[in-house]
Amino acid sequence: MMRLVALVERPMFRLFLVGLVALGLQTTVLNDLRPFGVILQIMLVLAASSGLARGSEVGAIAGFLVGFMYDLVLTTPLGLGATVFAIAGYLAGFANSFVHEPTWWSRMLLGGVASAVGTLLMPLALAMVGIEGALTTRVVVIIAVVAVTNAVMCVPFEKLCRWILKDPEVVPI
Amino acid sequence: MGSSFTRRRVIALLVLTSVLLVTLDMRGSSSVSFVRRSFGTIFRPVEGVVRVVTEPVGNVWHGITDYNELADENRRLRDLVGRQEGAAIANIATVREAQELLALNGLPTLAGIDSCTTQVVGESPSNFSQTVEINRGRNCGIRVGMPVLNAAGLIGKVTEVFNDRAVVMLITDPSYSLSVKIVNQPVTATTVPSETEILIGESTTTTSSTTTTSTTTTTTTTLPAIPGFVPGSTVPVQSTAAITTIPGDTTPGQGNETQVTVPPGADLPLRETGALEGRGLGKSPIVRFVEYQPRFGQIAIGSPIISAGGATSLAPPDIVVGVVSRVVTRQGSLGPILEVDLAASLQSLNFVRVLLYRPATERQSP
Repeated sequence: MMRLVALVERPMFRLFLVGLVALGLQTTVLNDLRPFGVILQIMLVLAASSGLARGSEVGAIAGFLVGFMYDLVLTTPLGLGATVFAIAGYLAGFANSFVHEPTWWSRMLLGGVASAVGTLLMPLALAMVGIEGALTTRVVVIIAVVAVTNAVMCVPFEKLCRWILKDPEVVPI
Repeated sequence: MGSSFTRRRVIALLVLTSVLLVTLDMRGSSSVSFVRRSFGTIFRPVEGVVRVVTEPVGNVWHGITDYNELADENRRLRDLVGRQEGAAIANIATVREAQELLALNGLPTLAGIDSCTTQVVGESPSNFSQTVEINRGRNCGIRVGMPVLNAAGLIGKVTEVFNDRAVVMLITDPSYSLSVKIVNQPVTATTVPSETEILIGESTTTTSSTTTTSTTTTTTTTLPAIPGFVPGSTVPVQSTAAITTIPGDTTPGQGNETQVTVPPGADLPLRETGALEGRGLGKSPIVRFVEYQPRFGQIAIGSPIISAGGATSLAPPDIVVGVVSRVVTRQGSLGPILEVDLAASLQSLNFVRVLLYRPATERQSP
């Protein structure tokens, strides 16, 4: 029992559990809604928000884990989404470190930009491994919709990621 | 300094892991398939719960955004159903006759191929790939590469198989490609005024005019000099082949005659093989000709496109794919590019059928 509690207290395990639920939302309700014909990317929000909440390094690792989970349900090569999401998480954290006193709107802005970069990198990465056809003019619409919606979602998700990725409390003996 | 070193180490480790994973997956490693399967086992129950919980949200969204479209579509579909019902009865009879004919000649037919009926349970959550998930897999006999169709026509092929589910790549996915035939139906009636010698039985007569129509194989010929016939009368000739005598020139200085059998189907549909390629969401797939023959003529809008089959093709012949919706002509000897209006609607897939077909080159000998 103590082991289970200790496991749940580990940030990356908590991220895995939350990631499972987010992935469930991604493959069901978000896949169904499609505003302007675009699927909203909640997994990318999770990656970018991790970077905003805990810095570039943690953002990269969290983005990699979230992207890896996403890759496991897609038919694209395993590791491609992980790389892209890691970059998005890193970028969000890195850019946020330059902001003197981050506000809710600066987080929204950075989350939106990181998501836009992630969305652009995905078809580029697909083209690099030889999967043609993803890099079309439609990418512009996808980037616009994903960036705006992710910017809005970044504020609550950043708070969620602060809780998910907080270090385990050290209890004095 | 220490922090910078750790950061670099973390990034290097992530990059190396990514490269390793991509390489393993691209080479078709079984360990990657195992990881995907294992994750699927954990994720499916979670997904099921989330689906049940969030279904009302989706219903509300569609209720708000799609109501008017749905009402219009419903009216349009009622009209369409009315029109199609009559045509369907005639088509069923024709298809049965064609299948009997193919079976009599020992040719493969779709009716002789086992299939597995299944339901679409999910779509790809990515903006860059067009796949759907079905709720039958290896246990039903489904294997990678098998064609998938619904009541209207071909929708894609199986790209991944698990025990109780499979992933189907849709025909619009940029990675999709299939060998197809375009059946070009000549649309204009042709009148040939030239004089032709035709041998009927023992007598040789001169034809004054020949009229050919595109909708029937009946050739109407005016025969003015045949005993027993009133000169100038019109006689329908339903022959399987007309024999034309043409002067041969194989022996110099000596006239000899060669009999050439001319099929009566100058008006029969012509077929040409091409490659169908998906172009992504919202774009019609296209067909490029493997070898464009000028005799194929002008391609009519609405010409049917069906799978070509063949020893190496993953789909059997004669599966309906769609019709030509646009012809893009190209300069030089390159044939035109054809845009395809798919017979199956990929937006509203529910029940689909996986043909348990494997090409002759992949079948294992018993």
